[in-house]
Amino acid sequence: MLKEKKISIVIFPGSNCDRDLFVALEKCLGTKPEFIWHNCSHIKSTDMILIPGGFSFGDYLRAGIIATKSPAIREVIRFSKKGVPIIGICNGFQILIECGLLEGALIKNSNQLFKCEKVNLKVINNKTIFTKNYKLSEIISLPIAHSQGNYFIKPDKLKKIEDNDQIIFKYSSDFGDVTEKYNPNGSVNNIAGISNKKKNVIGLMPHPERAIENFHNGIDGIKFFKNLKDLI
Amino acid sequence: MIFRVYVNFKDGILDPEAEAIKQTIANMGLKSVKNLVKGKFFDIEVGDKKNHLSEIEKISKDLLANPIIENFKIVKK
Repeated sequence: MLKEKKISIVIFPGSNCDRDLFVALEKCLGTKPEFIWHNCSHIKSTDMILIPGGFSFGDYLRAGIIATKSPAIREVIRFSKKGVPIIGICNGFQILIECGLLEGALIKNSNQLFKCEKVNLKVINNKTIFTKNYKLSEIISLPIAHSQGNYFIKPDKLKKIEDNDQIIFKYSSDFGDVTEKYNPNGSVNNIAGISNKKKNVIGLMPHPERAIENFHNGIDGIKFFKNLKDLI
Repeated sequence: MIFRVYVNFKDGILDPEAEAIKQTIANMGLKSVKNLVKGKFFDIEVGDKKNHLSEIEKISKDLLANPIIENFKIVKK
């Protein structure tokens, strides 16, 4: 009998989407994830790690930075080097950026607003392990809720991640127009989600775990999680 | 011994808070302000006996400032 694969969710003081993520993974993949507390210094084994949204350590100093000094993050980095898939959502994305697994920075929204709304995303790269069941340029609709989601990267580095197909999702219209009008936070080139060079680490600001029930504002999150089926 | 570490955004990084403060000054009817930069500082106290500068540099680079978007400056008080 095949050993059941293990999905881990890392929780920090101030994480608040961990249970939503648990429910989403259980519903969409039929697997119960395990919770890892942030001060865990040894994760014995795992087949996928997710870092949930929230306000780890109260967003003190810069969103995500304090969390990067937690022992569990050293383990996340260790498993990422082995090729284990890692997903950061919202504050999880900020943490993956601050710990250096993903490039660039997430700064305050240019419009000075906490943006809490439904956005459209265009799938820019459908060749990653996370997005291979999407069509190229497919439009999906997910909620965002953040004040520091303005993706910044220097022009020379931007070109590098573009050339290496590391841009995964961009904010767009219903019809896939990627223009300033559909940019909720000022992100460079409407970037909403990126991957690392090896494509086993992904971070995105929108919340797929908040779009999986009929009473949610949309159910496009189901496909996001079902896409992970092949990985576990 | 106290080291003061100043952190502020690099040129070209939009700081909405500084923009809002600048706009508020204009709303107060004060016309002289052309530009405004906001920053923060940290006073870090260490023992007197050893040269702690390299540790303060590590703290600044790895924690207090994000070198992609922020500058830092260390001043011995």
